[in-house]
Amino acid sequence: MIRRHRYRAVATALAMLSAAALAACGSSSSSSSSKSTAAAPTSSTATNGSPAAAASGPGVGKPPVTVGDKNFEEEFVLGSLYAQALAAKGYKVTVKGNIGSSEITYKALKAGQIDMYPEYTGTLLSAVAGVTTPPHSAQQAYAEAKAFAEKNGFTLLDQTPFYDSDALGALKAYAQAHGLTSDADLKKLGKSVKLGGAPEFATRYEGLIGLKKAYGDNPTFVPLAIGLTYKALDTGQVQVSDVFTTDPQLTTHKYVVLVDPKKIFGFQNVAPIVSKKVVAAEGPAFADTINKVSALLTIPAIQKMNAAVALDQQSPDAVARQFLQANGLL
Amino acid sequence: MIGIAAGGPVIPNFGGGSASFACERANRLFCAGWVSRNWDTVLWPALRQHIVLTVIAVAIGFVISTALALVAYRRNWLERPVLIVTSILYTIPSLALFELLQPSFGLSRTTAEIALVSYTLLIMFRNTLTGLREVPPEVRDAATGMGMGPTQSLLRVELPLAAPAIIAGLRIATVTVISLATVAALIDNEGLGVPILTAISNEVFKTELIVAGAMAVALAIGADALLVLAQRLITPWTRAR
Amino acid sequence: MNVFVEAFKFIGRNGQIPGAPPFPTLTHLTLETLKIAGIGIGIAVAIGLPIGLWLGHVHRGSFAAINVGNIWRALPSLAVLAIGVAFLGLGLRNVELALVVLAVPPIITNAYVAIDGVERDVVDAARGMGMTGLQVLLKVELPLGIPLIFAGIRTSALFVVSTTTIAALTGYSGSLGDIINNETSYHLSGVLGAAICIAALALVVELVLAMVQRLLTPKGLKVSTAEDTVSSLAPVVTEPT
Repeated sequence: MIRRHRYRAVATALAMLSAAALAACGSSSSSSSSKSTAAAPTSSTATNGSPAAAASGPGVGKPPVTVGDKNFEEEFVLGSLYAQALAAKGYKVTVKGNIGSSEITYKALKAGQIDMYPEYTGTLLSAVAGVTTPPHSAQQAYAEAKAFAEKNGFTLLDQTPFYDSDALGALKAYAQAHGLTSDADLKKLGKSVKLGGAPEFATRYEGLIGLKKAYGDNPTFVPLAIGLTYKALDTGQVQVSDVFTTDPQLTTHKYVVLVDPKKIFGFQNVAPIVSKKVVAAEGPAFADTINKVSALLTIPAIQKMNAAVALDQQSPDAVARQFLQANGLL
Repeated sequence: MIGIAAGGPVIPNFGGGSASFACERANRLFCAGWVSRNWDTVLWPALRQHIVLTVIAVAIGFVISTALALVAYRRNWLERPVLIVTSILYTIPSLALFELLQPSFGLSRTTAEIALVSYTLLIMFRNTLTGLREVPPEVRDAATGMGMGPTQSLLRVELPLAAPAIIAGLRIATVTVISLATVAALIDNEGLGVPILTAISNEVFKTELIVAGAMAVALAIGADALLVLAQRLITPWTRAR
Repeated sequence: MNVFVEAFKFIGRNGQIPGAPPFPTLTHLTLETLKIAGIGIGIAVAIGLPIGLWLGHVHRGSFAAINVGNIWRALPSLAVLAIGVAFLGLGLRNVELALVVLAVPPIITNAYVAIDGVERDVVDAARGMGMTGLQVLLKVELPLGIPLIFAGIRTSALFVVSTTTIAALTGYSGSLGDIINNETSYHLSGVLGAAICIAALALVVELVLAMVQRLLTPKGLKVSTAEDTVSSLAPVVTEPT
């Protein structure tokens, strides 16, 4: 008799506990009606691994270095380029791929889980440093980003010739039908336009926040996985989406990229952010090798590499290897 | 600061040019070329990692649940608390459990394994205990009558008779873990979930998705068949039915 | 452990982050998750139950009914969802389709086993009393089969709740899984808060269905011991999600 009651009590307590937790999750309060909800995360394409270190070269005997990369394909290519170039010079390199957004990857850098990663100057400033006044030129972006890095024990190596900013893209038909040529044109569509972007887009100045502040846009935000952008545009799940200016899909002329006159998306050349201690410990050939790679990365080069990875489904490692070989760095 | 190599970089024709990748560009159901190019670097490592993840989880789960079942067999009062705890663990959706373990164990194989093990416990505990309990009392008496102590009786009579139920539990647990381990890729970037998630983020690249998915199903069916075979070998007397 | 305290604070704030733009509330996301899951379960029961009941009643199709359950266990839900996205695109209807495909098999299998397993004597007695086939099914076989039928429905329900949260990984937004996917904006404490909500939701769904099962179980079958309470937490034929 007593046992039955005791276990009933346990079950009831459990029920009350879970109901309480659920009630907390479901407790009504002022609810926002914005439809923004986060969506699919990134995949993990980048191979966690190490390119085999060459037997000789300035890197032999130096401490091992871990290269990280963020959560999209261009980053996988960049990470692989730097990693393979370093390995060819004898450095022992490990790649930690697909870590996450800038915010998360920078945290990994600070925690020492990685020694360097390729970062976009503008994003470092706005998403990580929290700067709210966007710089006026690529040079200024680089200088300010470098200053921020150095204040925190890191440094920025040379920046690449190419830049890859976020932008808003839409299907040509939709843009023409609604007279969209610039980001400012979205204001008149208000909430009727669905804007897709990575989940972090919602909380970034180089994102929804900047669109609202600088242009007065107030779209309905639909979180999307970075890789599902164009599918969502094609199927009409969103009408406008956050795209990268070096996306190979943009070369098909199916899409229109809206102009960003106030430059909320910033100047976005890539510069590897590296811990100062690591730069010192690895010797001069380290920074030299990385800078040599960066110097080769023009917009056409990165676009072709992106196309090979995103459209041809070639692996970022293979694409990086072919590029380095063609340019005598491997 | 921005230096462009004189004359610009040499841009090779990656992989032989886009004409070699017509199947991928069209995102057809199955691109054999892609599979053969990426077997060694993507698919096979994923399969290997998936097998390792599964074997570790099932092995640890088996040990824990068998130990619990043996104790509960002797001390009946243990059954209900164990059932309650393992049921709750079982009910928590995998995604939630992986995340709840993350603060304590990080983004590591440990987190994945702990979650996967907890999904095996209920099934295997219950099946093992039920299997042991269903040994007819006459058989147990006979064993005692023959002079066997409780441990001997357990090892030579009761456990072998409970084997079909135990292995049935093992089968369900194994297939379940293989299926759930695809979600574990979120946590430790390992296993067949990696190409599945990659494919999703690649405008849903069908070949990779279908091949990785099919491999997971084949692995599950294969593991199940292996265990059935093992059961027939261990308990030949059950074949005649 | 501090991050768990933050997680509960996050829940207390109904999913808002101070200083960030307004996010959908936990209330909204939880209800949405329930709605999506509910539609999936409803359709799955509407499809699967009649099929399973009928097959069991006429004692046909056992191979199909049992093996569809075995194959189903081997399907990684992540892959099925992704395949749905690949071929049908994003959108509620497509997610529901994938959920229904995943939810139907255990309902069919369990309904089949439940009805098929009713003792022939009882069925014969009922026929002897002049009942038609349909009356036998509805008045005799169905009530006797409630425990197993509900075990299948509960398995399915849990599965659907969990898979709904995984759907966020495949690009479908609108459930609690969205928070888990956006650690950048919500931070780990938010992700944990969402995980706690998902776990609580699953437990509540399970308990509610267990209570419904008790209500529907004919009095003669109800065994009023503590066993009953515990087995209401641990269904018979189940899969974790």
